[in-house]
Amino acid sequence: MTRATASGFWKQALSIARRDLMIESRGGEVFGVVLPFAAVAVFVVPLATDALATRLDQLAYPVFWLVGLLFGMQVALRQTGTENLTQRRTLALMGIDPAARFAGRSLAAAILTTGVMLVIAPLVVLFYDPDSIPDIWPSLAAIIGFALGLSMLSTLAGDVTVGLRTRSSLAPLIVAPISVPLLIGASQTLEALIRDRSTMAPALLLTVTVLSLAVTGVLTAPALEEATT
Amino acid sequence: MTKRMVLPGLSAIAIVTALYLALGSSPDVFQGDFVRIMYVHVPSSWLAFLAFGVTALGSALWLWRKTIVWDRIAEASAEIGVVFTALAILTGAIWGEPVWGTYWDWGDARMASTALMLFVYLGYLALRSATPDPIARARRSSILGLIAVVQVPLVYFSVTLWRTLHQGQTIRPDGIQMDGSMVAALLGGLAAFTLLYFSLMVERVRLARLEDENTISDSVAAGAAVTSPNLDGIS
Amino acid sequence: MNSALVSLRGVGVRFGPTPVLADIDLDLAPGEALGITGPNGAGKSTLLAVISTLLRPAAGTVSVFGSPVLRRDLPGVRRRIGMSGHEPGLYPELTLLENLALVENLVGDVRMSAMQVLEVVGLAGAAQRRASTASNGMQRRTDLARLIMTRPDLILLDEAHASLDSAARDIIDRLIHRTCEAGGGAVVVSHDRGVLGRSVDRVVEVAAGRLT
Repeated sequence: MTRATASGFWKQALSIARRDLMIESRGGEVFGVVLPFAAVAVFVVPLATDALATRLDQLAYPVFWLVGLLFGMQVALRQTGTENLTQRRTLALMGIDPAARFAGRSLAAAILTTGVMLVIAPLVVLFYDPDSIPDIWPSLAAIIGFALGLSMLSTLAGDVTVGLRTRSSLAPLIVAPISVPLLIGASQTLEALIRDRSTMAPALLLTVTVLSLAVTGVLTAPALEEATT
Repeated sequence: MTKRMVLPGLSAIAIVTALYLALGSSPDVFQGDFVRIMYVHVPSSWLAFLAFGVTALGSALWLWRKTIVWDRIAEASAEIGVVFTALAILTGAIWGEPVWGTYWDWGDARMASTALMLFVYLGYLALRSATPDPIARARRSSILGLIAVVQVPLVYFSVTLWRTLHQGQTIRPDGIQMDGSMVAALLGGLAAFTLLYFSLMVERVRLARLEDENTISDSVAAGAAVTSPNLDGIS
Repeated sequence: MNSALVSLRGVGVRFGPTPVLADIDLDLAPGEALGITGPNGAGKSTLLAVISTLLRPAAGTVSVFGSPVLRRDLPGVRRRIGMSGHEPGLYPELTLLENLALVENLVGDVRMSAMQVLEVVGLAGAAQRRASTASNGMQRRTDLARLIMTRPDLILLDEAHASLDSAARDIIDRLIHRTCEAGGGAVVVSHDRGVLGRSVDRVVEVAAGRLT
């Protein structure tokens, strides 16, 4: 299949990402709905424990990553970011490279997910008071890597299930078990930073997983487009 | 014996033989008779990996050739794989309790990644059952089959890495001391389960074909579903 | 190679177990506007999807712009095809102008800017309206504006006349006319022969998945 030229590919991908971000800025599904919901989740976990006796500080990072995983999926699978059949067909007939469409939609979801996680992080610190906090910049890199991988995976799962009546539960079922390498790569990178160990192995795992998802997404994009137009 | 019965017949003979070998082999020095669970557990795990490998292969070949039989093979193999993955986890837990002292050991990377693999393919089967149209089902599930086969090894490596980063106490005894009768029992189990896999596959693919034939009818074309309204009926 | 704009030979389509189209032979000459009619559920829209290259038939061959449609040529071929239907497919959160600006960004090479084309279809005053607050007729006009903007060589319309006022129908007729004049073609699907009569040169009927 004739790929758009490299510049054409990125121009298309960025246009698609820009479209999704504009829709979000108007519809506010992520920052008006998903994010408050995620904040509530952070807040209610201690209420499900004996907060006075339990070491909440030990729950800080697990809760952060779990909320990031579950609500990151919600971001990528959000209703206002899902193209309907007519929209998918119109894009296909404009000759948009399906791989560029995948890249653009994943990129927008990754930006939004990173945003959600960056708001959640201080809330976790506030409510759970962890013993130590890792360096900002390497942590940010781990969060961005996690958000990128999760967004690509959820975008793929969202496309595979688009139009199905059970999509809202089916897509997360597909994403959750496959997201484990991302979860372990990102959470262990952060833990290595906290414990002053080498981040080499988990960071490498995260990078390899993100790259493998990018390659899988680009290679399956034409078949996925054919299956959903 | 008809031709169709050859494979199931051979499987039955192999299973009886494997059972005989498993029950007749000498007990393990450390595990005693519990080692016999391994003669079911190891072949189940092997079948799970074989089955999911075949699902990936079927998915790739469907995408390439668009021949419906590859989709049926992918589906049949995923179903069998899920059953044997569950069996592997179950027998592992039953064995783990007396030998390791626990049903579930987070220190063992294989256990966690096998359980995750089970969920991945439960998702695959859920996607299939949610897609009524056979062509759409084949298209979508073949893509998921490929995504899964790329990601499952990463799941395995990540859980292994996670385990090595958290080197917990090792509660298991040293490796099994295998004598001749135990090797025979294990190989017998592997052979019997592999034969069983192929005979189940043949039957399941045949069943899928029958299902399709039962619903395909060449006589009905579009439009025949909508007929002229009976205007006299509107009073 | 062949000179027809669209050429279908022995095309058959099935949705799972149900055959939807069978043995379809169809040609569209350059400059020709073809109407397809037939009762509900006859397979008209499916036939249009096959012509658009979006749906690959189970049987038969499809040639568009003179050569069989190959996977590697798809983006190039599709860029020359424009389709519009009764469902406009705009992004409800974006304004009409932003919807068209997105097309401009994605396609790059367009005949008119988004704002110019909104003037052409008489929606300059509604440019800043969100699609979700625009009426169905306004959304449909915006979708037609997309076709005026990208000027495809092959226009495919699926019940595009339905629920449009006569001014909007004039836009459609003009678009078909100009496309055919330039050597392109149009395929217009409608269950209403009367609608087709004034827009197309020739009408074929699909009944029970076959051309009659």
